[in-house]
Amino acid sequence: MTEIYPSLTQCAVIAAAFKILLFPAYKSTDFEVHRNWLAITNSLPLWDWYYEKTSEWTLDYPPFFAYFEWLMSQVAKLVDPAMLRVYNLEYDSWETVYFQRFTVIVSELLLVHALQMFVDSSHGASKRAAQAAAISILLSPGLLIIDHIHFQYNGCMYGILIASMVLARKRSTLLLSGLSFAALLCMKHIYLYLAPAYFVYLLRVYCLSPKSMFRIQFLNCLKLGGGIVAIFGTAFGPFALKGQIPQIMSRLFPFSRGLCHAYWAPNVWAMYSFLDRALIVVAPRLGLAVKADALQSVTRGLVGDTSFAVLPDIAPRVCFALTLLFQAIPLVKLFVQPTWETFVGAVTLCGYASFLFGWHVHEKAILLVIIPFSLIALKDRRYLSAFRPLAVSGHVSLFPLLFTPGEFPIKTVYTIFWLMLFLMVFDNLAPASSRARTFLFDRFSTLYITVSIPLIVYCSLVHGIVFGKSYEFLPLMFTSSYSAIGVVGSWVGFMVVYFAS
Amino acid sequence: MAVPSPSPHKARARKPKRIGSNGASMLSTDEPGSGSPFRTPSFPLAALLWPARSLATEWDLLPLILMAVGLFRWAAGLWGYSGFERPPMFGDYEAQRHWMELTTQVPVSQWYFHDLQWWGLDYPPLTAYHSWLCGKIGSLIDPSWFALYTSRGLHDGNLKIFMRATVVVSEYLIYVPAVVVFVRRFSRLSGVATWTSSVALVAILMQPATILIDHVHFQYNTVMLGFVTASMSSMLAGRYLWAAVFFVAALGFKQMALYYAFSVFAYLLGSCVFPRIQIGRLIGIAAVTVASFAILLLPLVWGTLSDVRNGIDSRPDLDGPRQPLAIFPGLTEYLDTEAFYYPIVEQLVQMVHRVFPFSRGLFEDKVANFWCALNLIIKIKHFPTELLQRGALLATLASIIPPNLILFLRPNKLLLPLAFATTAWGFFLFSYQVHEKSVLLPLMPMTLLLAGDHGLSKNTRAWVGFANLLGCWTMFPLLQRVDLKVPYTVLTLLWAYLVGLPPTSLGAYFQEGAGVWSQWLTFFLHGFFYLAMLLWHVLEAFVPPPPDKPDLWVVVNVGVGAAGFSLCYLWCLGGLVAESDILPRSWVGRGAKVKTR
Repeated sequence: MTEIYPSLTQCAVIAAAFKILLFPAYKSTDFEVHRNWLAITNSLPLWDWYYEKTSEWTLDYPPFFAYFEWLMSQVAKLVDPAMLRVYNLEYDSWETVYFQRFTVIVSELLLVHALQMFVDSSHGASKRAAQAAAISILLSPGLLIIDHIHFQYNGCMYGILIASMVLARKRSTLLLSGLSFAALLCMKHIYLYLAPAYFVYLLRVYCLSPKSMFRIQFLNCLKLGGGIVAIFGTAFGPFALKGQIPQIMSRLFPFSRGLCHAYWAPNVWAMYSFLDRALIVVAPRLGLAVKADALQSVTRGLVGDTSFAVLPDIAPRVCFALTLLFQAIPLVKLFVQPTWETFVGAVTLCGYASFLFGWHVHEKAILLVIIPFSLIALKDRRYLSAFRPLAVSGHVSLFPLLFTPGEFPIKTVYTIFWLMLFLMVFDNLAPASSRARTFLFDRFSTLYITVSIPLIVYCSLVHGIVFGKSYEFLPLMFTSSYSAIGVVGSWVGFMVVYFAS
Repeated sequence: MAVPSPSPHKARARKPKRIGSNGASMLSTDEPGSGSPFRTPSFPLAALLWPARSLATEWDLLPLILMAVGLFRWAAGLWGYSGFERPPMFGDYEAQRHWMELTTQVPVSQWYFHDLQWWGLDYPPLTAYHSWLCGKIGSLIDPSWFALYTSRGLHDGNLKIFMRATVVVSEYLIYVPAVVVFVRRFSRLSGVATWTSSVALVAILMQPATILIDHVHFQYNTVMLGFVTASMSSMLAGRYLWAAVFFVAALGFKQMALYYAFSVFAYLLGSCVFPRIQIGRLIGIAAVTVASFAILLLPLVWGTLSDVRNGIDSRPDLDGPRQPLAIFPGLTEYLDTEAFYYPIVEQLVQMVHRVFPFSRGLFEDKVANFWCALNLIIKIKHFPTELLQRGALLATLASIIPPNLILFLRPNKLLLPLAFATTAWGFFLFSYQVHEKSVLLPLMPMTLLLAGDHGLSKNTRAWVGFANLLGCWTMFPLLQRVDLKVPYTVLTLLWAYLVGLPPTSLGAYFQEGAGVWSQWLTFFLHGFFYLAMLLWHVLEAFVPPPPDKPDLWVVVNVGVGAAGFSLCYLWCLGGLVAESDILPRSWVGRGAKVKTR
C-alpha cells in the first residue's frame, strides 16, 4: 500500500508549530477556569473538590476530567508552583501560560492517534478520503479557535470520541468502544447528548444477536454493563462514599441558566429570538401584546435569562421533549439497519438535535455535530452537499468567541483557508452518489456560502465604523441568525440523505 | 482574495520557443513518476503539497499558499518586538513609530534635522514617505499613537497591531508579489515544473530570517528586498528600464540595497555590451535611473522649497548664523548660501550625512563578519580608522570583483541569484558598518536559488538551508535580548523540518549519482557547523560565561558564523564560476558538483 501524502504526523507537526506561535494570543476566562481546577485538584483533598468555591469558576466537569487536571498539576508543580494556589486568582505568569497552552497541544496527540486509527480502519478507495477527512479534523478552525486561542481541552476529548467511534467499526472491538465512550462521559458530560446513538447501536449489535433482535446475548450484556459500572464507579465511587453525588450533580447540571447562552448559539432558539425581536416592531400593528418587562432585556441582547416580548417563553421541558423527539427519529433507523455508517450518521443527528433544540446551548457545542459528520462527509456527494453549509455556518458562528483585534486576522484567514482548502479537496474526492439528487441543495449552499463574506465584513468592520459601540447586539444577532439558517438547512439536508440511503 | 497577478504574457510572446519547451516539461510531470524530480516526496514540504500535483493551474494553490504564510507571519507577530517596555531608548519598533510621528507632525524640511538624539531619521526618503503614509492612516484610527513628543515609547496594544499590520500589508504589496513573479519567471527559464516551483515558493516565503526580523523583531526589510526582487524579476523578463526603476526604489527605501548595486550595475552594463553593444539601451537605462532618483527626491525638494516660501526654518532649534554643512563643508565656498537652491543642497547633504554615517566604527556590536571575527584574534578596533576604512574597502572590492566580472562578461539571466548572493556575501563579510540583520541581504538571493534548476535537489537545499539556519543562529543574541527565543526556535525548526534539513533530518545529504568525495565534504562541513550550533545553544542556556569574559558566547557565535558565511560565499562563487562556463570545463572540478543532481 503506497503512503498517502501528506501524512497526519506531518500535518500535526506544522499545526503544532503554528499553535506554539499562538501562545501569547488572547485567552478567555476558560484559561483561568482551568488554572483554578489545577489548583483545586492539586492543593485540596478529593472530598473538597466539588465544594470549593473561592473562585467563581468552580469545578463543573465530571471526575475523570478532575483526575486529568490532577495529573497535569503534578507537572505544573515543577513549572511554577504559584499557579497551584487556589486563592491566586487570575494568575497568568508566562510559565503558567506556556504550561497550560502546552498541555493542550500535548493532549491533542490523542486526537492525532485516533485520526490515524480512523484512516487505518478505512480501506481501498475510501482511504484517501478518510485521510483528507482526518486532516480536516486535525486542522479544524473550530479546535484552533476554541482550544488554542480561547482555551479548552476539546481536542483530547474528541480524540477519545473518534477512537471510540472507530472501535465500533469492528465487531471485536465493540466492547472497547462502549467502555471508552463511558470513560469520555466521565470526562465531559456534554457527550451525553450523543449517548442515545451509542445506546441503540451497542444494544442492537452487541447485546442482541446480529441474526435476530429477539435473542439477547447475555454474556455481552454482562461484559458491557459490568465495564460501564466499573468505569462510573472509578469516576464517581470515591465521591459516592461520602454522599457527595447530589452536590456533583448540582455542579454538572446547573438548570438555573437561561435558554440561550450569553451569545446565541446558532440554533432554533436563535431563530425564535430573532423572530421575537422582529415582532416587537411589527406587533403593535398586528395588535399583539408586547411584554414590557421583557423589552429591556431583549434589547440588550446579551442576557443569561432570555425572556421573549411577543412569543411565548420556552420551558426547559419543551427543549428536552423536542431534543428527544428529534434524536429518536434517526435512532429508529439505526436500530433497524445497524451499519457503522448509519451509526455515525445517528451520532451526528443526535448532535444536531441537541444543538438545535437544547437548553442553554453553547456555540462551542457545534463541534459535536461537525466532527462526527466529518467522518462520513465524503461518503458521497449528497453527504458533502449537506456538510458544506454546516462547515461554513458552524465555524463562522464561532467568530464572536474572539473579539480582540489581534486575533481577527487569525480566525478569519484561518477559517477561509480551511474552507477553501477542504471544500476544494472534498469536492475532488467525494464520489458521485448512486441515487439522483432530490432537490437543488447545491444552489442553496453556494448562495449561502457567498453571503458569509458580506456578513463577516459587516460584523467586523462596517458595524464598528457606522454605529461605534452602540447596538452591539446587531452583529451577534446577524451572525447567529445567519449561522442558524446554515445549521438548520444542513440538518434538514442530512436528515433527507440519512433516510434516503 | 486579492491575488497579485504577474503578467507573463509579454515574456511569453517574446520567447515562444523557451516557454514551449517548458510547457512540455510541466505536462510530463503531471503524470506521476515521469520526469518529476521526486517519485515520493523527499521532504515534508513536498509531501504537504503532494496532492496539488494534479492541479491544472497554480492559481488554485496560490491563494492558499499566501494565506498560510500570512497566518504564520501574523501569529509570529503576536510575540514581543524589539524594545518592548525597555526604556530609555526602546528599540527598532520605536524608531519606526517615531518616524511615523515625525513625518506626519513636522514640516518636510525638518525631517532630517529634527531631534536627532531620539531616533533621528537615518534612512533614505522613500522610507520617510512610507512612514508618512502609515502615520497618516494610523492617525485616522487613533491620533494619540503619533502625537508629537507625547507618543514616545508608547506600547499600546492596538498600536502594536496597527504596526504589525503595516509590515504585513507592505510586504504583501511589494515583497510577496515580487517573489511570486520572480519564482514564476525564474523557474520557467530554468525549465522547472509549476508544481515544483510552488514548493520552492512556499520554502522562500517561509524563510525564517525575514519573518523573525520583520514580523517579530520589527522592521520593513521586506520592502527593500521586494524592490530588489522586482528588479531581478524585471531583468529576467528583459525589462531593463523597470529593473533600474525598482532598484532605485530599493536604494531609496534602504541604503543597505547598495550591497547589490554592483551586481545590478554589472548585469545591466553587461547586457548592453554583450553579445553586441547597444548604446541606446545604455543611455535609456542611465536616463531612467537619473529620472527615478529625481522623482524619489522630488517630494523632499518640493517640501523644502515650500517650507522656505512659508518661512519655516529647517532647524528651528538653532539661532544665529547658518550652520555649516555636516559633510563636504567646502561646498559652501562654491555656492551662494543665500541663493534659492541652497536650502535644497543643505537638505540633500544632510540626508546623505544621515544615511551614510561614515563617522561610526568598523562594525557595530558583534556581527558575524570577517572584521569582527578578526578582532577576536587581533584587536583591530584600536587601529586608525582611516587604515581600517581602506582595508575594508580593498577587501570588499577583492571579494566582489570576481562575481561581478563574471556577471558583466556573461550577462546570463540564470546567473542573477548566484551573482547577487555572492556580491552580498562579500559586502556582508568585508564591508564597513555591518549589522547582524544585514545577513538578510545575501540570504534573499541565495534562497531564491530554490526556484531554479535543481533548486530543490539535495545539494542546493543543503547549502541554502545551511546559510539560512546559520543566519538565524547568528541573530539569536539579538532576538534573545528581547525574549524572542520561542518564535526563533519554532520558526527555524519549522523551516528546517519543511525543507528536510538538520537538526530534523539528514535527508538533504548523499544523493545518488553525485561525487562521493564532495558529498562527504559537504556532510562533514555542515555537520561540524550544525553540531557547533547545537552545542552553543546548550552552553548558552546552561553555562554562564566566565566573569572576565561576559561576552564569550556571543563572541563564539560571531566566530563560527563568520566561518560559515565564508563557506557560503565560496559556494556561491564556485557555483557562479561553474554555471557561467567562464572557465574551461577541465579547470572547475570543484565547481562542477554544484550542477550535479
